[in-house]
Amino acid sequence: MKKIRIYTSSLLAAAILLIAGCTKRDVSSLQAPEFPKNGDVFLDDFTGDLAYAAFGGSDVRAFQVETKETYNGSRQSMRFEIPDANSPQGAYAGGVFFSRTGRNLSEFTALTFYIKASQAATVGVLGFGNDLGANTYVVNLSNYQVNTNWKKVIIPIPDPSKLKAERGLFYFSAGPENNRGYTVWIDEVKFENIGTILAGQHSIMNGINATANTYVGVNTQVTGIVSSFNMPNGVNQVVGLSTSFFEFKSSNPSVATVNANGVVSSIGAGTAIITATVGGKNATGQLSITCSGAYTNAPTPTRPASNVISIFSDAYPNIPVNYYNGYWQPWQTTTSNDFKVQNDNVLNYTNFNFVGIEFSSPTVNASSMSHLHLDAFFPNAVLPGRQLRVIVVDFGADGAFGGTDDTRHSTTFTTPFLVSQSWRSIDISFASMTGLSRRANLGQIILEGGDGTSLFVDNVYFYNNDPSIAAPVPTRSAANVLSVFSDTYTNVPNTDFNPAWGQSTTVSQIAIAGNNTLRYRNLNYQGTQFASALNVSTYSNLHIDFFSLDATQLRFFLISPGPTERSVALTVPTTTGWNSVDIPLSSFSGVALNNVIQFKVDINTATNGPSVFFDNIYFWR
Amino acid sequence: MIAKKIKNKVLQLGAIATAVLTLSSCEKKAEQELPKRNWQLTWSDEFTGTAGTSPDATKWVYDVGRGPNNDGWGNAELQSYTNRTSNVALDGSGNLVITAMRESFAGAGFTSARIKTKAKLEQTYGRFEARIKTPTGPGIWPAFWMLGANIDNTPWPQCGEIDIMEQRGQEPHLVHGTVHGPGYSGGAAITKQYALMNGRFDANFHVYAVEWGEGYIDFFVDNFLYQRITPENVTGKWVFNTPFFLLLNIAVGGNYVGFPTIGTPFPQTMSIDYVRVYKQI
Repeated sequence: MKKIRIYTSSLLAAAILLIAGCTKRDVSSLQAPEFPKNGDVFLDDFTGDLAYAAFGGSDVRAFQVETKETYNGSRQSMRFEIPDANSPQGAYAGGVFFSRTGRNLSEFTALTFYIKASQAATVGVLGFGNDLGANTYVVNLSNYQVNTNWKKVIIPIPDPSKLKAERGLFYFSAGPENNRGYTVWIDEVKFENIGTILAGQHSIMNGINATANTYVGVNTQVTGIVSSFNMPNGVNQVVGLSTSFFEFKSSNPSVATVNANGVVSSIGAGTAIITATVGGKNATGQLSITCSGAYTNAPTPTRPASNVISIFSDAYPNIPVNYYNGYWQPWQTTTSNDFKVQNDNVLNYTNFNFVGIEFSSPTVNASSMSHLHLDAFFPNAVLPGRQLRVIVVDFGADGAFGGTDDTRHSTTFTTPFLVSQSWRSIDISFASMTGLSRRANLGQIILEGGDGTSLFVDNVYFYNNDPSIAAPVPTRSAANVLSVFSDTYTNVPNTDFNPAWGQSTTVSQIAIAGNNTLRYRNLNYQGTQFASALNVSTYSNLHIDFFSLDATQLRFFLISPGPTERSVALTVPTTTGWNSVDIPLSSFSGVALNNVIQFKVDINTATNGPSVFFDNIYFWR
Repeated sequence: MIAKKIKNKVLQLGAIATAVLTLSSCEKKAEQELPKRNWQLTWSDEFTGTAGTSPDATKWVYDVGRGPNNDGWGNAELQSYTNRTSNVALDGSGNLVITAMRESFAGAGFTSARIKTKAKLEQTYGRFEARIKTPTGPGIWPAFWMLGANIDNTPWPQCGEIDIMEQRGQEPHLVHGTVHGPGYSGGAAITKQYALMNGRFDANFHVYAVEWGEGYIDFFVDNFLYQRITPENVTGKWVFNTPFFLLLNIAVGGNYVGFPTIGTPFPQTMSIDYVRVYKQI
């Protein structure tokens, strides 16, 4: 409700002209300006400096001065005609009655008025402090019930001493009831000094002792701001109010500071308790900040955005996500206390037992993706045997949860891979998710295995570890090349690129940017069998283009009968696209270069089952 | 807290110009001219003691439950009175605190406490005063009052009742002073209200008192006389010439005050700084 259209009645204009001569002040004095201590807002008409502005999107003609339906026979009242739903004039009635000059309301204790309606209804909001500007000292009653009788409304001022230059004298907003409009009358609007309101009970964090675990750089908002007053009839009335009425204090400013808006900034390790007062009176509730010091960010993702479908990451644009915490009842205990530290958003699952992330509107087609990635961090102790289960759910062709076509796969991680206080990057290949029949309609990721402590999660995304560009085109003269795998040269015929050696690797040839490329998925080891032995004794080098984002070790073997095999290590992962190497054949010393029968690739002692791409494998001289 | 060493102190209070009897109960005049009466303290409880302890058993006894006929003490009151320290205890700061709570207990929806000086302090005539911070809220009915000590043989209302202070929590700006007797009990009791113009009794401590002598009972708030009741005012026999004992309680609900509402704040507490009884000398 920020965009305000100013609406001034001719009546109002007249009123302003009338008072123009009364507002002169002696400007020779250097004292701070004193605003009028007038509490009248609308008695029988606009008072002095009062003006009206309708809220943007509201029916700007909803408010009129009324002469018939008035409180206790007064001359005029305020009338609000709430429109029907979908009215072309505006969807609701609402606006601000503001002082053009400002008022000193510090000697009053409440805004009071009488209200009735053409039918029993719930008025969205009634209050003061909305001044079309900073709205610093807002107090309101929300969802206030009115009926066809005149009823006195009292809105207490939490700390009148703050209101020495208040411009927002009254505001109002109401929408249709059951899509139908009705009429509200308000009369005798004024600030009063009522002695029969007992001082309020003010609360932050809804009056409880709340806790927050933070890191340096995390901002935490004080919430649950309410004030309760005991009204003249002995009943407590809760009002909504802005944080500006509260004076916040940190017990330990070297750990956390708090500003006037209740934003708590963690700046050092330790504990600080945030408390508040209103007009010198203690508010109930507090926020205990336990700052663990510097935050360790999750590893920054490096995959090109074109190869990623991101669920939650600051490194990529995220797809629409229904929720990061479904609060699945009745068994879920997990709550969310997500935080942002140095522009890095982190999912913080507290009281974690299990939690579901859903992204089903629409579901995700990950058919061209190869892996799920997520980073996990356990800030608390991780006991031996602790598990983290990552479940990926495909909603099937119906694109909806349930039915008979949903499939899922759960992958379990456990200690010692899971550790405390250190990010763990988890990559699960779809090839290994055997329970997941397809991945064209992915809808959920579920994390299980919590022990009631906390889990931070970051960089949740599906990715394709294929290279996005083709390997460089070779430039050597064909006359000096004996090629095994390349689009540029004539390859030796009938090579078996996937002999059955008991490997778990999946081999395929795919086109990348129109260039045929050899792909190993889930590599442990992989052989290449030539149709007949190659004599490379007249060649000096072996050229290989290779690409892998997730391999941590990679060895390339040349094999002659015996078998005699020698390997060289290829540098992985490839961090700047394709790597091209020219290996002197002397590096394979011992292999009979006139009788090379096979290649082999393995990942040495690594266990991660990476994806590796090869192109332009040829001997040259 | 004010100083408490007042044993055998002689109070000199003015009282009563006849003109005062016609004053409006809602208007406090700047001054009252009251004839001099001399008082000597005969009994008091200053409620000094350890926080959380029960009131002095040599001075107070409890009424517990929902009344002898289990009917809410004749008024359809909703609370069950207990002698638990959660309902009545010293606060360690020189006050006795009676606490009314919303809780299920012994078939009632609320608990509270009612204590009395029956067979401990029974006196005919004198000044009976207490400094009290009252509770509030719709359906909350605090009282500082007296009953005729002969009640066991001479049932109410024949025994007589003097209500020094009664309030309805939904009207915290009003205090009621009342006598009940034969022919003028319940809704026909002789009563008058005293109001604060722009304030509430539950916001602060106030001194509620009666000065009772032969043929008159004068009602005071903060030493302001707002009502005198004499045999001419009552519509039946004057029964205020035998010993009476004192009672303090918070009732919840009942015919006099109406039901507590969803908006009634609980718990509600009545803090009593002292109770003092004097005789005229």
